[in-house]
Amino acid sequence: MSDVSTVDASEQEARQSPSAVADGDERLAYRGVFTRLLVRPEIGATIAAMAIWVFFWAVSVPFGLASGAASVLDVASTLGIMAVAVSMLMIGGEFDLSSGAATGALGMITLLLVRDFTGEMGGAGFSLWIALPISFAFAIGLGWFNGTMVNRTSLPSFIVTLASFFILKGAKLGFSKLLVDQIQVGKMDDLALNADTRGGDKGYAFFQRLFAGEWVRNEHVWSGRDLLYTVATLAGICLIVLAVYEFRFARRQQMNAGGVIPFILGLAGLVAGQLYLHNTDDTTGNWIGSAIIAFSILLTGFGLALWRYEPLADRGSFNLDPSWLKWFGAGVAALVLSVIAARALDADNSDNIYLLFTEQGIRAILFISLAAAGAVMLLMAANIAGRSSQLMRSALLFDAAVATALMAFFIRSQSASPKFRSEVFSVMLVIAAVMVTWAAVTYIFRERREPDAQADAFAQRVLLVGMLSVIVGVGTRLLFTVQNEIDNGISRTVFSVRTLWFILFAAVCTWVLGRTPFGSWVFAVGGNKDAARQIGVPAGRTKTQLFMLVSVAAWLVGTLLAFRLNTIQASTGDGEEFEYIIAAVVGGTALTGGYGSTLGAAIGAVIMAMSFQGIPASRWNSDWRFVFLGVILLVAVIANNFIRSKAEASR
Amino acid sequence: MKNLKSLLALLFAIALLAAACGSDDDAASDDASADDAAEASDDSSDDDAASDDEADEGDDDAMADDEGEADVDLSQGGDLTFHMITHSEDGPFWSVVKKGMDAACEDVDVSCVWMPGNNDPTQMVTDIQTAIGEGSSGIAASLPSPDQLIPELQKAVAEGIPVYTLNSGANDYGTIGATTHVGQSEDVAGEGAGLRFNDLGATKVLCGRQEQSNVGLEERCNGLKATFDGEVVDEFVGLDADQTEQINGVKAILEADPDIDGFLGVGPVIAMSGLQAATDLGRDLHIGGFDMTPELLDAIEAGDIAFTVDQQQYLQGYLPIILMYLEVTNQNQAGGGLPILTGPGFVTPDNAAAVKELSAAGTR
Repeated sequence: MSDVSTVDASEQEARQSPSAVADGDERLAYRGVFTRLLVRPEIGATIAAMAIWVFFWAVSVPFGLASGAASVLDVASTLGIMAVAVSMLMIGGEFDLSSGAATGALGMITLLLVRDFTGEMGGAGFSLWIALPISFAFAIGLGWFNGTMVNRTSLPSFIVTLASFFILKGAKLGFSKLLVDQIQVGKMDDLALNADTRGGDKGYAFFQRLFAGEWVRNEHVWSGRDLLYTVATLAGICLIVLAVYEFRFARRQQMNAGGVIPFILGLAGLVAGQLYLHNTDDTTGNWIGSAIIAFSILLTGFGLALWRYEPLADRGSFNLDPSWLKWFGAGVAALVLSVIAARALDADNSDNIYLLFTEQGIRAILFISLAAAGAVMLLMAANIAGRSSQLMRSALLFDAAVATALMAFFIRSQSASPKFRSEVFSVMLVIAAVMVTWAAVTYIFRERREPDAQADAFAQRVLLVGMLSVIVGVGTRLLFTVQNEIDNGISRTVFSVRTLWFILFAAVCTWVLGRTPFGSWVFAVGGNKDAARQIGVPAGRTKTQLFMLVSVAAWLVGTLLAFRLNTIQASTGDGEEFEYIIAAVVGGTALTGGYGSTLGAAIGAVIMAMSFQGIPASRWNSDWRFVFLGVILLVAVIANNFIRSKAEASR
Repeated sequence: MKNLKSLLALLFAIALLAAACGSDDDAASDDASADDAAEASDDSSDDDAASDDEADEGDDDAMADDEGEADVDLSQGGDLTFHMITHSEDGPFWSVVKKGMDAACEDVDVSCVWMPGNNDPTQMVTDIQTAIGEGSSGIAASLPSPDQLIPELQKAVAEGIPVYTLNSGANDYGTIGATTHVGQSEDVAGEGAGLRFNDLGATKVLCGRQEQSNVGLEERCNGLKATFDGEVVDEFVGLDADQTEQINGVKAILEADPDIDGFLGVGPVIAMSGLQAATDLGRDLHIGGFDMTPELLDAIEAGDIAFTVDQQQYLQGYLPIILMYLEVTNQNQAGGGLPILTGPGFVTPDNAAAVKELSAAGTR
């Protein structure tokens, strides 16, 4: 059975009977919010995705722009739809090697059905209203075939679907050459071009909008964008902070109204600081804006806690325990080394920073990895010390915050890149401010160590709203432009409806997997098919349905490609099945079945798309592309595993 | 050693076969085979391991072959069999080569065997050995991986079989001892594209490749670098199998380098990807491509793409058959030791419509 569902079950039980903790049953012991979050399979992928985005944002100019995001989402969409479906199949314990070839094959079937073979796109082809359902039926049939063959023969799905792969690959080539005398089938948009002579476009206009609709950012100028972006993002972050507080701290019996005033003042300061920062370009302005924001974060966080939560009674005492002292020492040493490395290596040649194998590149890698390692070690020291004394935890957190701030100033004084001098600098200051706030707040207020169903439910809702608010804010910024950007000549940026399909498909699959009996069956048959069958799960049927899900996803992707590219090559999709599996594994799905996450697979697809896009966007030599790709994927998977094993060990 | 003996046996078979057929044009091949057989037996006489068993086997083979060929003789007078061994993956390109071969074989009334190797050198080596074994009257082979194929083709030359290279192999046909090479030299094609970009007024061209470590594609880009006056950026941008990734790969490079004002896709699909990327970004690029698909021809006709380099591969199927036929029947050796180039031809908006019709017929 899955980890996810056992977690949910134990949580539910804990909510129903809080007294169970008192009985000393360790399975029902209350676990902190971070532990609960980190055992989810998609968290490692999320962290890796953020790290990779920041990395490519730092080394490349176009990657961080809206057009870069559009490209990443474009590549991620078709890859992600398949990765989500494939991850469900993998959780169910099977593979589908025909999924890649199936995308091309099903798209090609649609094209062959709407085309007329006797003349050049004459009038005899089917309407799309008929062709699409027929190719959909083909998809269902393909999934049924794969599933039934696997069930009946009891052969590994690896072998059965490998056969399907070869059959599809051959059929694509054979039929396209037989019927069209080409190794590709086109062209979808001929339906629109010759609509008059044929009496109607066979539904092309409708389906074109449905599957290949585009949103051209440059045509959507909206002056209110930055205001909404700022307000929605900040409000979202505040709500997320509130949710974390609710998860973490014990509520007061009576709210303390005295906390409301600093809270409101802090919020106002945040908005003011952000707007000020946005409207200024000189370094002093950046300085002042950052300072205002840093102070406001402190004020807001403190005010909120003062308002709602109970103070801590026993704060522990000062100690110099060697268990944390060694981490502290190592962390400081790493930070010092990083500064020495940055100073020792040449900093003059600034335009070479995009190339990895230059002194600049090595300097950047050395500095960043040493500094990051140092920061992590300081945080570990704080964590270890915090087990015995809250005083020491806060003190060490404060140290880490000071180190972060110092590093920010160091980067600002050393880096030639304006990106590092302004954005990285400000973000690091914000992080330092958050750490100081966290140090102060955890010092003053009591951490909740008992379950509180009401607070948890409230926090979950607030967290969801907060995340939605951030998404709305970022989405607004991505989808709309302002006159100023147009005047500066930004390149045309196109978002596609494919991304909506991707989000919709991932959301539906996540819901099915997490909230329906079918989802539980998937985990059950992937964990142990025979055991699942004995407790009454229709194992064979579940697996067949999973194969059908994958082929339906392939139909969707094939249709999206047919409308996107107008033409389907005989080779379209061949070999892609491994990318789907890789994306699922990067997203935390186990190759052995029974464990994984559709959300993780979606994020895994985004990670792969970012790697595909980031490498050319950074203008790294494409000869090394697969070396970079391999390293990035390895790091993502290792990070994912590491985080999960740490989290599971700390249960 | 064992190979040599079975070869020897086959040689006897060929010699017998040639002797058994009585038509005029056989004199040449008969002589050639006989000479070679003599040479080969000279070689083998040095080896003292030739046993009676082997000789018996050789006789059996010869008789079997003799009986087999008798049927063909009854049906048709065309007793020449030419083998075309290519690294074809059955794409639109190679189907035109095959059409060229079929047309030539019909024109001179010989039988031809099409052996597509699917980019697998081992398969091609086997095909060459089979062709020699079947007593081929002439072998035309493409040479994607010279190191593996050269020794095999040298064996064919050693047995007096006329050998021609086609499509790829412009640098190696001399080593093999092949009469000549029929094809487009990739760097010459790239050089032609470079001159085109000069005419179009481009200043910085991205040479986008759809495969890594494909020598032919790299040579196209190198040719471009040789003649183009401006700067060339040479990158792999993504496989044809995932065109979405390919389009966005081109976009990323275009975004990262605003100076790029030209794009050469060294294949037909990647050229269309370049057009799509430029359209998405709203960039005005001079775009050139290699080879042809209906979409690419439409885009050229519409003026969205400036040109495509056509290596006129129909000739690569047609000419080797004719040349082999003439060498076998008339002792002609074309080329004078130099390769015979089939391209580059260019398809531009001016001739796109005409080429489109021929392409639909499958001969361009």
